Amino acid sequence: MAFCDLKPVRVYDDGAGITYYIGDVFAVYAFGAERPVVYSWDMIESVSVTRKELTFKTANRKYSFDRKQLKEQNYFRAVGIIEREHKNHEFAYEHEKRMFPLKSVYTDIIPGKDAYLGSGQVDEGDCVAAFVLMMNLRLVKVLWLVAVLIMLVTFGALHFFVGITRDNLLYFIPISIASGGIVSLVVYLICHAIAKGKYRSIADADPASETQISFVVCKLGFAACESCIYDGHDLIPWNAVDYFVETDKMFIFYKDNAAYTYIPKKAFEKKYIGGISDIIAIMLEQK
Amino acid sequence: MSVEIKCDNISVGGSNVTLVSVRNGESGIGMCSSGINPASGDSSTINKFFYIGSDPVININCPNMGSSVTDKMISFSSGFQGVDHDIFDAFTADLNKLNRGDSLTNSLKEVFSLLTDGVYTVYTSEYYPTDGNGLFFWGAYNITHEVRGTAEHSTSIGNRPYRPCFLIPSQPMETYTTKTKQTTDEAVKSRRVQGIAYHLSGFHSVLLKGHHGAVSCAENGIPFKCAVIERVSQPYTDFYPAPVKKTTAPPPQTEETPAEGAEATTPTPTPVPTPAPVAEEREGISGFRSASVKIPLEAFPKDVLRLILETHPDVKPPHFKTLMNKTKAVRKRAVTNNILPREALDNCEMMPDCEMVESAFAIDDISESQLNALLAGDTELNGRIIISPNFYSSIVTACNFLQFKDEQRFVNFSISILENPDLNATHEYTARRLARLSANEKAYRFFKNVIASDDAKYEKFLTVADRYVREYDLNKNK
Repeated sequence: MAFCDLKPVRVYDDGAGITYYIGDVFAVYAFGAERPVVYSWDMIESVSVTRKELTFKTANRKYSFDRKQLKEQNYFRAVGIIEREHKNHEFAYEHEKRMFPLKSVYTDIIPGKDAYLGSGQVDEGDCVAAFVLMMNLRLVKVLWLVAVLIMLVTFGALHFFVGITRDNLLYFIPISIASGGIVSLVVYLICHAIAKGKYRSIADADPASETQISFVVCKLGFAACESCIYDGHDLIPWNAVDYFVETDKMFIFYKDNAAYTYIPKKAFEKKYIGGISDIIAIMLEQK
Repeated sequence: MSVEIKCDNISVGGSNVTLVSVRNGESGIGMCSSGINPASGDSSTINKFFYIGSDPVININCPNMGSSVTDKMISFSSGFQGVDHDIFDAFTADLNKLNRGDSLTNSLKEVFSLLTDGVYTVYTSEYYPTDGNGLFFWGAYNITHEVRGTAEHSTSIGNRPYRPCFLIPSQPMETYTTKTKQTTDEAVKSRRVQGIAYHLSGFHSVLLKGHHGAVSCAENGIPFKCAVIERVSQPYTDFYPAPVKKTTAPPPQTEETPAEGAEATTPTPTPVPTPAPVAEEREGISGFRSASVKIPLEAFPKDVLRLILETHPDVKPPHFKTLMNKTKAVRKRAVTNNILPREALDNCEMMPDCEMVESAFAIDDISESQLNALLAGDTELNGRIIISPNFYSSIVTACNFLQFKDEQRFVNFSISILENPDLNATHEYTARRLARLSANEKAYRFFKNVIASDDAKYEKFLTVADRYVREYDLNKNK
């Protein structure tokens, strides 16, 4: 079982005076109670982790507490435990958008000695650039088309309103090209703004964007997980992703045509990037 | 931080249970996961190992993604490099204290401090020094193989507690010497407790101390009593019968005058319908258990319960990397001419096996009328399932239960099955179980008749009968 080493988390809800334990079981000490009500995970029907609160539903009761009751490390540990148990028990699990894969996709595989280990915080600029690149991958042809269309439209408009003569032809062509370029740039800037917004919406939803992340790449699989809970013993097998895209700053792994994991190159020492690229290229198709 | 050990005695269902809480334990004894080995090509087997000090001792491969109802593949670790003397001395000191008359909790303090954080129960229990399949435990695990009875949950026992009673060694076979055995031959006669065992999985425990003593006991037919340490961490849920409410007496029925011509009958008391026991659904689990004991939440001292909630079994020790590196190493095996005594091996073959013990825990008792119903091919009696809705499974469990509890009834029942041609699906199994009785006159006579007879109904177990008769005659002549 991946993430089997996570120590149970104790949460004290100040407002209600209730203490929760999230671990091998889910336990609730009601206000003033000496004995807890303890649930095994197969008794839990659903768990939801939102920006504001964590909610646990059983057949008869619903427990929820503010996320602020958990310190950052404890929050990641609690989420790690919930996702570990979600893999083994069939409760419904709702969560916000995530930057990195869920813990439930990890397998208990110990990386070999050939593993490349790195760590670092995710850089907003790098991520936005990656998002734009991902958009460009789809938009690049559209942008060219827009540019050419605008050029033609501008040229046509000039001809219609001013009339093309031998004298002004040399002015109108650069004007048309420039207008096509400007419109494309505007479209690009809009895309950039959208990408940034998209990144911010994910980053705001996932506190992992502001914490130290451990990255592992080896022949057996890869990992991108919060350093405070990752002990280096769990990996996501390569067959969990479909292909990858390499930018100058990141490796982006895709699953079902959606970005799945971002591995920033600067998390590793420069001399290892070649080796990492080789492993990824052997294991995945590049697009 | 120093190790904190706290012992509590609690009462569970009228019996006394000793709980030991360990905080800041040294992680010198324990079990942890070494993950999946993709190189083996099997991505559904989770590998674990049991370690003592800085040595991996037992490899445990858990097939079917570590399913708790699947038996494990077990072998002695090839990475075992040698006994850690400090720990070994601690085991010796604790066993000596036990035999000097100290209490379990006082004697085993050094062993407790070596455990990982959590709550344990300690008790003494008699063990069969076998692997659960008739082989002497020491040396029975040199090759990785599936060991019957190592699943955490037995489907036939269900949710009931059971006593582990088979052993796995913590020392390699080459450490056996006849010289040490000569010492233990005398020592075991006066010992109160012969060994210290740590419960591993299902019916099997690792013997931490007392390997030579086990040889002496097996050879001389002395019961092998061990001090057993079991972790209490598994949640369990039982249904509680709801307290039956006292119902107010039903209003007296108005006496009706009997119809003319009807005979006056003496009024018979009308049976008051007793409410059927209702399973009350209680919120959450009932408590935590180990293999041998189920402890309801109410019975736990408050701090002990919190410790269970705060700790996690199978946690990787701080020296996990050292252990992992050792698992890949190959042990240099010493060559030894010391051979286990033949009597010990023969006696072990006669000891109850895992199937028998499992059946003994699966049912409380079986009456003659229930046996007769099974012989008639029924799995139910008076509308209630006798053992299992599966007929073959019922016969197997009944045979094993009787063999464990009452040999004479077992012989009679087995012969009745073998005489019944309608139950021929169970003949081969029953004959093999009957042939395990080494010197039973009645079984011998039955098998001799089978060989002499030409009846086709005995066809399925003729070879078993022939072998039994030959061996019986051979032993008789000896």
